[in-house]
Amino acid sequence: MRLLRQLTRRKLRTTLTILGITIGIWALVVFSSMANKINALVEGGSQYFAGKVLVTDASSIGVGIGTSPMNREVADQIAELDGVAAAAPEIQMIYDPEAGGAFGGAETLLGAVTGADKGLETFPIRAIQGRLITLEDEGSHVVVLGSDLARKEAVSIGDTLEIRGEDFEVVGILEPTLTAPDTTAWVPLAAAQELFHASLPAPIQEAISADELISQVVVYPDVGVTEGDVAARIETEIDNVSTLTGAEFDEQIGSATAIFNAIIIGVAVISLVVGGLSVINTMAMSVAERTREIGVKRAIGGARGRIVRELVAEAALIGFIGGLIGLGLGAVVVVLANEAGRDSGTILFDLTVGTAIFAVAFSTILGIVAGIIPAWHAARLDPVEALRYE
Amino acid sequence: MNLLEARNLRKTYRLSRRNKVEALRGVELHIQSGEMVAIMGPSGSGKSTLMHILGLLHSPDANGGPPPELSINGTDVTGLSDRSRTRMRAETMGFVFQSYNLVPTLSAVENVALAGEYAGVPRRKATAAAMEALGLVGLAERSDHRPMELSGGEQQRVAIARSLVNEPMLLLADEPTGNLDTATGHEVLQLLQRFNRERGQTLVLVTHDHEVGDFTDRIIHMRDGLIETSAG
Repeated sequence: MRLLRQLTRRKLRTTLTILGITIGIWALVVFSSMANKINALVEGGSQYFAGKVLVTDASSIGVGIGTSPMNREVADQIAELDGVAAAAPEIQMIYDPEAGGAFGGAETLLGAVTGADKGLETFPIRAIQGRLITLEDEGSHVVVLGSDLARKEAVSIGDTLEIRGEDFEVVGILEPTLTAPDTTAWVPLAAAQELFHASLPAPIQEAISADELISQVVVYPDVGVTEGDVAARIETEIDNVSTLTGAEFDEQIGSATAIFNAIIIGVAVISLVVGGLSVINTMAMSVAERTREIGVKRAIGGARGRIVRELVAEAALIGFIGGLIGLGLGAVVVVLANEAGRDSGTILFDLTVGTAIFAVAFSTILGIVAGIIPAWHAARLDPVEALRYE
Repeated sequence: MNLLEARNLRKTYRLSRRNKVEALRGVELHIQSGEMVAIMGPSGSGKSTLMHILGLLHSPDANGGPPPELSINGTDVTGLSDRSRTRMRAETMGFVFQSYNLVPTLSAVENVALAGEYAGVPRRKATAAAMEALGLVGLAERSDHRPMELSGGEQQRVAIARSLVNEPMLLLADEPTGNLDTATGHEVLQLLQRFNRERGQTLVLVTHDHEVGDFTDRIIHMRDGLIETSAG
């Protein structure tokens, strides 16, 4: 209560200082939420690629995704190699060619043969409604949708969904994972083969039939064999393929996220410097104005430590209020942006409880640290000098 | 019994390398417990400096002379740390200033209670004691007013309540009537005198006001950093 009264003594100045912190913390919250989302995507990818090798055509350019046509024979050839436990042929393609690539995980269509992984896939995919694709679905047009995609298409179990001009029955919707599966549509391999075949240029369509067509092979090594060894063997034995191991995924995508995370830290540092300086400035002015009051307090027996505590508490309160408002405004932006992006399936932000707590704690500590210097200066004043101060 | 005993009090302020002011040049002073003493003298005579030293706000120095001696209630205070001097100010002294010096954001009762809190009294108890002290100076009804909402005389009475709340042995008042009109000034002096008589609180006050002599037991006249006369 007393603290608030001290703060409201100079309403405009306190408000401006709080605003300075608010902006810093707002930026911190928004950027951290973005980083959370990206890191979750990368984490999901990292988890998915751990312990396996993704084989794509040598001409495929995406990292962790094969979109160039390959012959299904390649999967059989790889399965024959030593150290390979399973080689699952798959098709991965852009879900909606009109939409283009979306930030934060492009929407993809994945065609796979259930069981081709021989039970080795460990990445957890669970249906929240309906069911997953089974082997019996092979040959029929059914689809299981990731949570974001299902929300975007506004479909539920039993509905018919048109994908690339073909009708599919929605049989399952997946639990949100905050990573790539949220924006993925699963179909039986044969259905994906048809769609993929139809999307290819005419000369290629003539050269390869739909049932021979795949775009990537997911390879599971035998127990005791490293994915690096398997990848090396595939590259030497099979022509015109490139491989990606979990470690390589981490390296390639990890360096990109490291840059992004560095930007976040940069924002945090700038907000720290700007916000901190404005708190120092405000508190230094408050101390100067209150020189006489501090002199009185010292004269009537206020210990130095107590003077420091009073002033630091004021600065901490400025930081705390600024942090709360910054968090509030940041949360508003995150929620609005996610709502706006929901229709297009673009969820950009993930504001976690940890981020929220960190932001407020960070700005409070910032206030404390910035308050210490002027407070210490105040406590060191000669009480007699301070009493004479006009 | 002497509450205050001082010998060889010197204080030299160095304003620059060449320019130093010898504010006190060897003061010897004894003040009895329960006495009411006025220190008078022209500007620059050293009376404020003496107050600051007696109030443990500044320390005396030797300036080439014999070492200064100062004891309060039998305790030698010359070598005390800042922390100990601060505690002693809080627990055994009360201060009244010319310009009242209340904390503007605090109400009258909070201002008074602050001195109690500084002396280590829990806030609730300090507030109760503060209400009682405000009652003694006749301001119980204005306890929740801020200094801005009080007249000068009322503010000074709040300041007196603040100086009394810990029932200190020694009350130091620096020009307590300096900012008040004559009638209000007299009321304040009467109040101070009453507490000195009724509670036996030793009172040392610095003043320009010659009529103050009517209220005090003794007047100490200072000139050029020394005590000129000390007469009752």
